[in-house]
Amino acid sequence: MLEIRGVETGYGKLKILRGIDMKVDAKGIVALLGGNGTGKSTLLKAISGILPVWSGEILFDGEPIHAKHPHQIVRAGLVQVTQGKDSYPGMTVEENLMLGAYARNDKAAVREDLDKVYAFFPILKERRKQLSGLLSGGQVQMLVIGRGLMAAPKMVMLDEPSAALAPLVVLDIFKQINRIRKELGMTILIVEQNVRMALLLASYGYVIHDGRIHIEGQAEDMIHDDKVRHAYLGGTVAEAENVR
Amino acid sequence: MLMDFIVVGLSIGLVYGLVALGISLIFSGLDIVHFAHGEFFMFGAFFGLVLYGDFGISYPITLFLAMIITGIMGVVIERVFYRRLTSQGGGYTVAGMGMIICGFGMAIILQNVAFLIWGAEGHAMGVQFGMPIAVGDITLPRSYLWILIVSVGLMAALHVLLKHTKTGLAIRAVAADKDIAYLMGINVPLMISLIFGLACGLAAVGGVLIGPINYVQVEMGYLMLIKAFAAAVVGGFGSLPGAILGGLLVGVFETLCAAYISGSHKDIYAFLLLIFVLMVRPTGLMGHLAKVKA
Ligand SMILES: Nc1ncnc2c1ncn2[C@@H]1O[C@H](COP(=O)(O)OP(=O)(O)OP(=O)(O)O)[C@@H](O)[C@H]1O
Ligand SMILES: [Mg+2]
Repeated sequence: MLEIRGVETGYGKLKILRGIDMKVDAKGIVALLGGNGTGKSTLLKAISGILPVWSGEILFDGEPIHAKHPHQIVRAGLVQVTQGKDSYPGMTVEENLMLGAYARNDKAAVREDLDKVYAFFPILKERRKQLSGLLSGGQVQMLVIGRGLMAAPKMVMLDEPSAALAPLVVLDIFKQINRIRKELGMTILIVEQNVRMALLLASYGYVIHDGRIHIEGQAEDMIHDDKVRHAYLGGTVAEAENVR
Repeated sequence: MLMDFIVVGLSIGLVYGLVALGISLIFSGLDIVHFAHGEFFMFGAFFGLVLYGDFGISYPITLFLAMIITGIMGVVIERVFYRRLTSQGGGYTVAGMGMIICGFGMAIILQNVAFLIWGAEGHAMGVQFGMPIAVGDITLPRSYLWILIVSVGLMAALHVLLKHTKTGLAIRAVAADKDIAYLMGINVPLMISLIFGLACGLAAVGGVLIGPINYVQVEMGYLMLIKAFAAAVVGGFGSLPGAILGGLLVGVFETLCAAYISGSHKDIYAFLLLIFVLMVRPTGLMGHLAKVKA
């Protein structure tokens, strides 16, 4: 569904990604792992068109999208849920959700999808008339995921949905992400620092390090791989030995 | 007498409000302070002069056409001259600072263009509105009635657009966060054009409304800019209700002071009010409602 070939990009003159190759198959969950500042969010920004791609190509559904504008990529069915839990705090929960459906004109289907989102996250329905700035961190995360779904995408990219949330809340959100995959047949690329949780959820994983894909493999193999922990923690070989 | 002055002040204040609304719209939408905005007010008035005076088009249609033409002119100028800078970021960035100079430059260019076309002298718009109407013991010239109705109508329309339509939701989203708006599938560059065009159109309407009361002349733009600026800051920079409130306050305060203190220094009163409000409330009256800018 999504294919990334040799993608390089960065900020100004500073190159962050040095040739990324990745594949995300339809109706599965793929985890993208890596430590702080390794370029995970940068890759998502490049995929969704917020950052220009310097070289390489990105194919979505077989179509090249690396030269398209972000709003065109959303309309093609690929949606990013950003890291910062950035809802529009000055708008109500429902306005936020309706913004997610901005690119759509099928009113009846939008209403149906709104009900689906409320079914996944009932607390959003309860608080739909409130300003989203008043929600708790976990609720905002639910809101931005729900807002992504409102675009009726074929694939969503979630950037660190577990960041800065209590373990129980994380568990709840991950359960809903799994439900979304199953019930909507959604393709999901999830960026995480919470390696264990992400690998439990995903079927395939990539570890990014220094702007390159460092390790990749089946999720169940990776869970037991110390190399993964090492790359993830960014420690030295000696430390990795100690872990063992 | 007092009531007459207040009504006059409110009407002038509504025009300040229209121009200030545009300045605030551009500030929240594009993250820039647009120093050439007064010139769009001036061009709007001149377009009104041509449409009404030379082409003999009726006043309401003139208002409408001047708004559209000036709006399109704004869209083109923003796209051709400003976009390169604004797409690099506004606010306190280097591009944002460059935009301030760019705005001043554009103001001077537009003034000179207007000067070359229409000369330096004042032109009377000569709209025949008919007899003033009396409401209670206030006699109200119809030109002021037009200002009241058209401005309030436009402000209400803007409110409906922003709060109750999908396009308005998108405009608010673009104003609050462009990257996220992009990820909602909103065509952000197009929305920015729309915001800018809208703001210039509002200023133009202000120009056509003021035209019949004052002379239409090249300097009217920068005088309006400083008043509208004062209005925007008094109300709280970036706040749309604040822009209207600030406009009304500046209009009434200035008219009353001119009537009861001295008419020869009319233009300083706006700034006395500005300084006073900023001393009491540094964010402006409704500044707490405006969004925080980086
Ligand atoms: N707007 C920016 N301008 C310049 N450099 C940036 C910018 N955003 C990120 N960077 C740099 O790019 C590198 C990669 O950042 P990125 O946000 O992709 O990391 P990440 O893998 O998402 O990390 P985290 O897990 O902390 O979110 C970092 O070194 C960061 O400092
Ligand atoms: Mg990140």
